[in-house]
Amino acid sequence: MITVTINDKKIKLGEPVTILNAAKMAGIKIPTLCHHDLLEPFGGCRLCLVEVEKVPRLQTSCTMYITDGMVVHTETEQVIEARKSMLEFLLINHALDCPYCDKAGECDLQDLVMKYGPSSGRFTEGKRKHPESYDDPIIVRNMERCISCTRCVRMCDKVQGASAISMVNRTSKTFVEPFSGGRYNCEYCGNCLTVCPVGAIMSRLHKHTYRPWYIEKNIETVCTFCGVGCSMTAQVRGDSIVRVVPEIVKGVNKGLLCNRGRFGYDYVSSSSRLEAPLIRKNGKLEEATWSEAFAYVAERMQEIRAKGGGSAIAGIASARCTNEDNYVFQKFMRVTMGSNSIDSAAGLAFAPGQKYLESIFGQGVTVNPISGIAKADGVIVIGGDPTSVNPVLGLQIRAAWQKKVPVITIGYTPGLKNFSTHKLLPAPFTETIVLAALVSELLRKKPSAIEKSPFGELVRTIQPVSPEEAQIACGIPVWELAGCADTLAGMTNPAVVIGRDIIQRAEGPANLMLLAALVHLMNGRIYLSSELPNERGLVDMGCLPDSLPGGRPITVESFRKRYEEFVGAEIPSSPGLSLMEIIEGARAGKVKAIYVMGENIAFNIPGHAYVKEALEALDLLVVQDVFLTETARQAHVVLPGLSWAEKEGSYTNLEGRMQHLNKVVGGKGLEDWKILSEISRLLGADMHYADAKAVLAEVAKVSPLHKGITYEDMDGGQCMWPYKGEPLRHDITLSGIGVPNIRSLLKRPEKDKTYIGVEKPLFHSASMSRNSLALNSISAKPFAKMSRELAARFSLADGDYVTIETSAGSLDLPVMLFADFPENMVLVSNNFEGAGVYKVLAHKMNETIKAPELDGIEISLRKIERITAEVSA
Amino acid sequence: MLSDGALIKIQHIRSKYQDARSCLLPSLHVVQEENGWISPAAMEAVGELLSVPKATVKGVSTFYSMFSHRPMGRHLIQLCTNVACMVMGADSLVDSLRKKYGLEPNGTTADGRFSLVIMECIGACGTAPVMLVDTDLHDNINENTLLTTLGKYT
Amino acid sequence: METFLLRNIGNPNSADINEYIKAGGYKALAKALTLKPSDVIDEVKKSGLRGRGGAGFPTGIKWSFAAAGQNKPKYLVCNADEGEPGTFKDKLVLEKNPHLLIEGMCISGYALQAEYGYVYLRGEYPQAKHILEVAIKQACDKGFLGDDILHKGVRFQLAVHQGAGAYICGEETALIDSLEGKRGQPRIKPPFPVNEGFMAKPTVVNNVETLANIPYIIEIGSNEYSQLGSSDCPGPKLFSVSGHIKKPGVYELPMGTSLKEIIYTHCGGIAGDKNLKAVIPGGLTTPILPADKIDCPMDYVNMPKHGSMTGSGGVMVFDESVDLVKVCGRAIKFLERESCGKCTPCREGVGWLRSILDRVAAGEGREGDIDLLLEVSKNIMGKTFCALGDSAAGVVQNFIKHFRPEFQDHINEAVSVGS
Repeated sequence: MITVTINDKKIKLGEPVTILNAAKMAGIKIPTLCHHDLLEPFGGCRLCLVEVEKVPRLQTSCTMYITDGMVVHTETEQVIEARKSMLEFLLINHALDCPYCDKAGECDLQDLVMKYGPSSGRFTEGKRKHPESYDDPIIVRNMERCISCTRCVRMCDKVQGASAISMVNRTSKTFVEPFSGGRYNCEYCGNCLTVCPVGAIMSRLHKHTYRPWYIEKNIETVCTFCGVGCSMTAQVRGDSIVRVVPEIVKGVNKGLLCNRGRFGYDYVSSSSRLEAPLIRKNGKLEEATWSEAFAYVAERMQEIRAKGGGSAIAGIASARCTNEDNYVFQKFMRVTMGSNSIDSAAGLAFAPGQKYLESIFGQGVTVNPISGIAKADGVIVIGGDPTSVNPVLGLQIRAAWQKKVPVITIGYTPGLKNFSTHKLLPAPFTETIVLAALVSELLRKKPSAIEKSPFGELVRTIQPVSPEEAQIACGIPVWELAGCADTLAGMTNPAVVIGRDIIQRAEGPANLMLLAALVHLMNGRIYLSSELPNERGLVDMGCLPDSLPGGRPITVESFRKRYEEFVGAEIPSSPGLSLMEIIEGARAGKVKAIYVMGENIAFNIPGHAYVKEALEALDLLVVQDVFLTETARQAHVVLPGLSWAEKEGSYTNLEGRMQHLNKVVGGKGLEDWKILSEISRLLGADMHYADAKAVLAEVAKVSPLHKGITYEDMDGGQCMWPYKGEPLRHDITLSGIGVPNIRSLLKRPEKDKTYIGVEKPLFHSASMSRNSLALNSISAKPFAKMSRELAARFSLADGDYVTIETSAGSLDLPVMLFADFPENMVLVSNNFEGAGVYKVLAHKMNETIKAPELDGIEISLRKIERITAEVSA
Repeated sequence: MLSDGALIKIQHIRSKYQDARSCLLPSLHVVQEENGWISPAAMEAVGELLSVPKATVKGVSTFYSMFSHRPMGRHLIQLCTNVACMVMGADSLVDSLRKKYGLEPNGTTADGRFSLVIMECIGACGTAPVMLVDTDLHDNINENTLLTTLGKYT
Repeated sequence: METFLLRNIGNPNSADINEYIKAGGYKALAKALTLKPSDVIDEVKKSGLRGRGGAGFPTGIKWSFAAAGQNKPKYLVCNADEGEPGTFKDKLVLEKNPHLLIEGMCISGYALQAEYGYVYLRGEYPQAKHILEVAIKQACDKGFLGDDILHKGVRFQLAVHQGAGAYICGEETALIDSLEGKRGQPRIKPPFPVNEGFMAKPTVVNNVETLANIPYIIEIGSNEYSQLGSSDCPGPKLFSVSGHIKKPGVYELPMGTSLKEIIYTHCGGIAGDKNLKAVIPGGLTTPILPADKIDCPMDYVNMPKHGSMTGSGGVMVFDESVDLVKVCGRAIKFLERESCGKCTPCREGVGWLRSILDRVAAGEGREGDIDLLLEVSKNIMGKTFCALGDSAAGVVQNFIKHFRPEFQDHINEAVSVGS
């Protein structure tokens, strides 16, 4: 026990903390500027100086640790004088811009000077001058206001790991600058903005738009750009969001955000938002009233059901909508439409991946807290770059590496370039070989790691692959594979981060099996990357062709009967079509109607031309969305829903954590669950919900997994799977799990082919982010990314235009060249209208896991010679 | 971006340290010696070689006053005007340089022959005033010997 | 007194290893390797040697802290960043007697069981760099450095690491940061370098002159060494004398020699036989002494009782022609340029002091400026992260303490001219 006296108050503590923290625990506030809870102590501002008895000089309470018997005084005359003089010193060069500065009202320096003085300065010499920098689209830098607290630089360096800014010069000429001196060209996470105590680093988006005391509401909510679900507070004035700031204490992200959550919310107020229902009349979409639209949809759906039965109807649920929306969607499909053909974008990778892994390890195997990654003793990353797909999860990997935890990356992960111990970059699509070689090495080194279980027995039968054989097939040198295997063998509980790319392969099932083997042998913890915010929620809510709410299989009679009893209607007993099967079914004329909620299937599914044909063949396409997407433009009826900011609801993130979103602003559409229940009611179904809470109440009754769940449970921020309910327990039969034929893959890769791959950029997310002016100001257009060597082969320089052609289509794009880039690969993103990579990818489904196969697609590249008279784009 | 000679020197430096980051100052010295200044491209190249982020390289490089970040003249005059040299007349030498060569502190002559940097004690106070021209130390300078000494540097 | 540190420098080839050996060099190393490392540390402790960089901390005690830890590898760093204006003694040792330093470092490395040594050499000493690197190679070739020193299975390797113009890197934790390739800013203490220094390993940072004394201690033994100099501070001291003096230069004299003796007996008195006005005895940032207060012994323990410090032993002599207000301003300008920028009072306050002093020196002073200088100094003193800011405050306070009328004269002139 350590006893310390602060301002005559005796405190007993179990372990040594800084005087600052001890005082905080005692309810005594000591002023600071350079201190931040997310950062290591700096001791530079000197605001926190206090008197410590028996120590001659004043000491900084942020750096000094308490000792038993220490006596501290924080409000003596000497201390108050010291604070006053430190503030006077800061105001020497700090521009006295309060009337003009955006930070006024929430400025730490201003608050401290108001409290501790001085009320007038004695400095009459010249202040340093520094022009305000507007070079960057997002950040405005005003170095006359900088107080050299270095919080921004320490945040960028040590926490974000991007090291995009640094202090330059020394003496009072010190200031903060990105490398270029102007534009940041960084990850635009905005975390520097969060920690700046003064108006030195400000957001350009908000410059001179409001004052902090004009904010009327601070509403806690959750970001919906990816499956991490960072906690944030939306600040509202009137009925618009003026700003979004991270939540420091609560939630997954502990004060950090990424560029999308921080700045990308402005699409909510975009002028392109859908405001009224649209019905196609004479080939044109025309505005209609809600009752007209509801009636139209109900009538047409009823017709189609009467003719072809429920199997002629399919539904695409939304990974962007709330659990409540999705629950009502599957109820609408099953009860009102009599169809089990329900899927979503989760069917592109997340759902098949989870299903595969759960059939080996049981339900809940991917439930692991993100905060556990930085505490693991090893991290393995495969199938994509987490720092751009789930950025705040990616930060955990960087934090782990900085603590000297070994990190292995397999595949192209540029965001972890400086944060990995082993960077394996195999030849295109040969990850299976790498995994097989690593499994073989592990089996050789630690044969006792195989557990006595059915899966363990399967693992034992995996064909061994030697590092030499692997090198021939995937190009990774023997020493690198062996070294990597050595590192793996030393891990006792690593985090295994699995991305989309590895699942969307012809060998997707094989990759999953081998990854499962690795997890089995190393006692690993699985993190399944989730690009969209509510993929896990979709699975939990039963928006799958073979699953009921709570992840209960539809083929098990007891589960089905139980749900039928509750809803008072029959539910088809055989599983429906999965996402890609729905498209194929539409094309073949078997599916006649598709109801799409919150998804842009005409753009977000590989094979644009193929999907277009499929949709054109439909008798009825209903699209419920917030923008007039490519899919909506092909629809017969378009119904405006509400964005995440405009409704209450819950999301389930990739950890299996349910989080509560509050309504932030009003919107012109209707809640998605409301639209569906109105249509259902017109068709005689019993769907009455007063609000989202009522929907959740039904979920709580119906889903064994969500038994008794309420929003209050989620507000604590700790609502992890299995929430308050029961997970699915079943005997693991390993059905559908096969041991891959590795030997058949051991062939030398062909050197002269060029392949196309999907890029997941940091600054965009599917087709929603293209409506954000902020995100477009960072990254306005798509590129074809490739290595310098590949570019040289086609005489391409940075910025040249190239035609990429496959059997499925072609794209014309400018190129961007990189060193350290996968050989023979061109990466293109799928975010920008008319320039999405899925246009040139063929529609091909893996029969085992029903995910798309995006590998092995060869392209031809042709440089577009520009005529000098042409105006460049 | 870095010359072959610079690369070889930096590799040699790398072998003397266990940690790449410790090689940063010695590597920047190599660049400064070769080119007379450290350009943004050079900073980026050194950062690549040592796996140090380029913004960090810039932050370190700009901290130290002996690293120049603008192109310099062919010969660098580093003249001390700290107290011991000041009381022995260094300030009038600054005036002489201004008058004779049109050279200002932190400036370069129009013909690119000389650059002038004011130093803070270069450790030869007993024979003040002193200056370094490139790596040559010249002490006990007066206005005459200043000009004759500089005349030897073309 | 017989000189040891500057024993051979009259010889134009004193830096050559063969000349050094001829004059008796590397015998101390051989003798040290016959002792246990802990015995060598004891010898240094008993000798009473104190750090010669300016702080005067007992060297043997510093070493015993580092030796006590189990963390490895350990590092020995020689602080050759001699940046204190008025000090040029280390340069002489580095350029004329580099092997003395090498031998001293090798013995010290052995005592500390450190296998790696760095000489952090300021960038302003390009000749010293070259000479030192040649000397190190010579020492390696002769087996005095390397993997198997004198075939005793002892390992010690030495490298020269150049600074790049930052006085603050003379502070040991800022030096270590600079050695690690960072901006040279001082670190939070604890942890102390002897426990967690370079690469978070135990590191001893010693001044050139301190290390140069080690072979002397081993050669004549701690008993005899402790009889040299003064009883409070044994050993020889190198004094760098500059300014308005007849015979400026580096003098090796017993620790405790009186400042008056140094100036008048050894250095011949004031140049041109002018009147002495003031002396800064231990490097620019030590308290200035008026001409009537120079009867004081130059050692670490007794100088503070006489109102100043021995510091680095850089004696700066000023005759009656000197404008002390201008000197004060230049000293503060130096400290302003060298401030690392980490802490508020130094980064902002020293610049404030400098701008007031500039005005006063240029004839634009105002009533109240002296009190303002004292106020600002008081607000800096004791509140900074390291001693640099404190030094600036101390310089202003001491100049005004002894020479306030001169400041007042400048202001009176300015005020009467009506500026």
